[in-house]
Amino acid sequence: MAIEQTIKKQSYRKKNRIFEGLYPFGSILPAAIIVLLFTIYPLIYAVRVSFYKNILTQPNSHPFIGLKNFSDVITSYYFKTSLINTSIYTLVVVAGVIVFGLVVATLLNTKIRSVGVLKIIILLPWAIPAVVAGLMWKWVLNSDFGILNSLLYSFGIIKSYIPFLGDPILARIALIIADIWKEGPLAAIFILSGLQLIPTELNEAARIDGGNGLSIFRHITLPLLRPILMVVLVYETMTAILTFDIVYVMTGGGPGDATSLLSWFAYAEIFKFLNLGGGVALAIIIALITLLLIILYLLALRTEDTVSGG
Amino acid sequence: MRTKLFTLIMIVSILLSACGGAATTAAPATQAPAPATQAPAQSATTSPAAAQPTTAPAVPVTMSFDAWSYGVETVADNIKKFEALNPNITINFTDSSWLQFHDTMVAAFTSGSSPDLLESSDAWLAEWASAGWLAPLDQYCPNTVAYAKDLAPYALEGMTYNGHIYGLSYYADTMDFMYNDTLLQKGGFTTPPATLDDLYNQAVQLKAKGVNQYPIIFAWSQQEGAFPEAWMSLIYAQHQGGNAFFDNNLAPVFNLPGSDAYNVSEWLRKSYAAGLIDPVSLSTAEIDQVKSMQAGSHTFTIAPQYNMAELNAPNSGNYAGQFKIALMPGPSHAGVGYVRFYAMTPEVVKAGQAYIDAACKFMDYFGGTTNGQYIVVKRWAVENGLGFAQLPLFDDPDVLAAFSKWGDVPTIKQNATLARVQEGLTPYSAQWMTYSVAEIQKGILGQESSTDMLNNMADEWNTLKGK
Repeated sequence: MAIEQTIKKQSYRKKNRIFEGLYPFGSILPAAIIVLLFTIYPLIYAVRVSFYKNILTQPNSHPFIGLKNFSDVITSYYFKTSLINTSIYTLVVVAGVIVFGLVVATLLNTKIRSVGVLKIIILLPWAIPAVVAGLMWKWVLNSDFGILNSLLYSFGIIKSYIPFLGDPILARIALIIADIWKEGPLAAIFILSGLQLIPTELNEAARIDGGNGLSIFRHITLPLLRPILMVVLVYETMTAILTFDIVYVMTGGGPGDATSLLSWFAYAEIFKFLNLGGGVALAIIIALITLLLIILYLLALRTEDTVSGG
Repeated sequence: MRTKLFTLIMIVSILLSACGGAATTAAPATQAPAPATQAPAQSATTSPAAAQPTTAPAVPVTMSFDAWSYGVETVADNIKKFEALNPNITINFTDSSWLQFHDTMVAAFTSGSSPDLLESSDAWLAEWASAGWLAPLDQYCPNTVAYAKDLAPYALEGMTYNGHIYGLSYYADTMDFMYNDTLLQKGGFTTPPATLDDLYNQAVQLKAKGVNQYPIIFAWSQQEGAFPEAWMSLIYAQHQGGNAFFDNNLAPVFNLPGSDAYNVSEWLRKSYAAGLIDPVSLSTAEIDQVKSMQAGSHTFTIAPQYNMAELNAPNSGNYAGQFKIALMPGPSHAGVGYVRFYAMTPEVVKAGQAYIDAACKFMDYFGGTTNGQYIVVKRWAVENGLGFAQLPLFDDPDVLAAFSKWGDVPTIKQNATLARVQEGLTPYSAQWMTYSVAEIQKGILGQESSTDMLNNMADEWNTLKGK
C-alpha cells in the first residue's frame, strides 16, 4: 500500500515537472501563434514575393527573377529623388520632434496645478489617426478658405492667400510641421518621464556650485536623458522614414515629386503601377535602411558608453 | 499549479474565440442612407433598345455594387426602385472616394474581394479588362449590343476593349472650357477666348485690372482622375484630326519637335510663371475647383461639363447663373470626351446563370432602358446635369429644359460633337498617366524643360509598352 502510494506520488511529481516545464511555452503559445500568423509569415511571404515578377494584371505569370525587382527599383527614375526627399524629411522631422519634445517636457516638468490635465491634452495630436491629422492640416492650409491663410491675412501679415500645398517648398514644410505636430507629443511624454527620474538634488547641487539653467541642462539633464532620447530618436526615425498617411492625404506626393517619399513610391508601385514585386522590394529596401540606421544609433550609443566608462 | 492551468485555459479560450470571430464572413457592405425619393420626369422619348423581361429570377440573388461617392442618395434611391421592380434581387451598395477609387478597386480585385457590379471609367477599362477583372457584358447580356446603336461614338469606344463591350453608360461627358461671364466683362471683354493666346491676353488683363489675382484655375492634383483629361483637351484643341499623342502603332508623337503637346506645355509654363494660373491648381481636386469658381476667385477653368449645374445652381453663390461654357480655346476646339459606366466582374459569371440574369437586369435598368425609356440616365441628366452617351436624350424636352437652365445647349451639343476619346487607352495607359501627371507638374513648375518632360513621358510609355 505504502509502495503504491509512493509510486503514485512519484508519477504525480513527474507529471507535475513535465507540466511545469511545458507551461511557459504553453502560456506564450497563443501570442506566438498570432505573431507567427500576422507578422512572421507575411514577412517571409513578402520577401519571397520580392524575388518574383508579380504584375497584378498578369495573375498567372510569376517567374522567379532573383534580385531584378530590387535592381529595377534602385535604378528607377524616382529612387534617387525620393531617397533624398526622405532623408531630408527624416532629418528635419526627427530634429523637430526632439526639440519639440524637450521644450514641452521641460515646461510640463513643473509643479503647477493644471499640469496633470495638460499632460493628457498634449497627447491628443498623437492619439488622432494620421489620416485625420492629415485632413485637418489640409483644411487648415487650404489656399482658398484655410484658417491659417485667413488669420495671416486678417493680421496683415500677408497680402494674399498662400498656396501652401501647391508650392514644392511650402508643401514640404507643411508636411514636416504636420508630422512634428503629430509625433511631438509622444516624444514630450517620453522625455518628461526621463526628466522626472533625474534627482532634484543634482540640480540643487549644481546651482549651489554656481551653475545656471543652461549649464545644468547641458551637463546634467541632457546626459541623464540620453537613454530616453535614444529611444525617441530610434522610434521617430522609424516613423519618419515610414511616413505615408500624411503624405497620401495632404499632397499625394506632389506637386511634381516634391513630397514623394520612398514610402509613397512603395504604395505607388503596387497600386498605381500594379507591380507587387517591385513594391515589396522597395518596402524591404526601406526596412533595411531603417534597420541600418537603428544599428548605427545603437553602436554610437555603445561607443559613447565605452568612452565615458558607463 | 491549478492557477497556472486555469490561466492557460483562459488564454487559449480567448484566442480561439477571437479566431472564431475573425473567421466569419466579411462585414456587410455599407448601406447608403435612404434618400428622399423624387420620381424623374417622364417623357415621350423612347429608345429602340430591346424590350425588358418582366419576371424576376426565381432564385433570390444578392449582389454587391461598388461605386464612387457621387450622388450616393440618388444611387441608393435608384437601387430601391430597381429592387421594387425585381423583388428577388438585393443590391448591397458600397461607395468609396472617387480620388481613391482606382486603388480601392485594385486592392479588391487582387485580394479576392471583388464586387459583383461596379462603376468604372474608360481610363481604366483596358487595364482591368486585360487583367480579367471585368467580364465582357456583350457576352452575357443580350441587350448590350442593341443599346450600342444609341451611343455617342466616343462613349462606345470608351467602353469597348478588344472588340467587346464591357459596360453600359450612365454618364458620358466632355471636358469643357468654362468662364465667369460677369468677371470677364469686368475685365473689358464680351466674348470668351477662342485661342490660347486670347486666353493668355485676357488673363493678363484681368489680373492687371485686379479682377482676379489668378484668373485661371485647374483641378490638377495628382490624385484627380480628370487631370489627364483636362490636359489632353488643351492639346486636342490645338490639333486637327487624330494622332495628337500617338501614331497608329501607338508610338509617341507628342514629344516630336513643334508638337501641340510641346506648345501647350510651354503655354502652361509661361502662364504659371506670369501668375495667371493659381499655384494651388497643382493640389486642387474638382470639388475645390468648383468652390473657388463659385467664390469668384477665378474667371476661367476647364472642368467636366456637368459642373455647370452646380456652378449655376440657384443660391450656390454670388455668381450663380453667370457661368458659361465656351468651345475649348484652339483651332480645332476639340476636347476629351469620356465615359463612366456600370460593369460586372467575373464573380457574377462564377455565381451562375441566376446571377448573370440579375446582373443583366441591373444593367438594363441602370444603363439601359425600362419600358423603352432611359430612366436612370435621364434622371442623372435632369437632376444633376450629368452628360450622357445616349443620343436620343438630346431630343428629350425634359433634358433640354434642364440643361438650358445651366448651360447653352447648342454649345454643349457642339462640344459633344467635337469630343474625342483619350488616345492610347491601353492596359498600361493608367500607369503611364500616374507617371505623367508628376512630370506635367514638374514642367509647369519649371523644374524641367518641356522637351525633357515630354521625352521622359515618351520614354516611360515605350518602357511600359515594351513590358
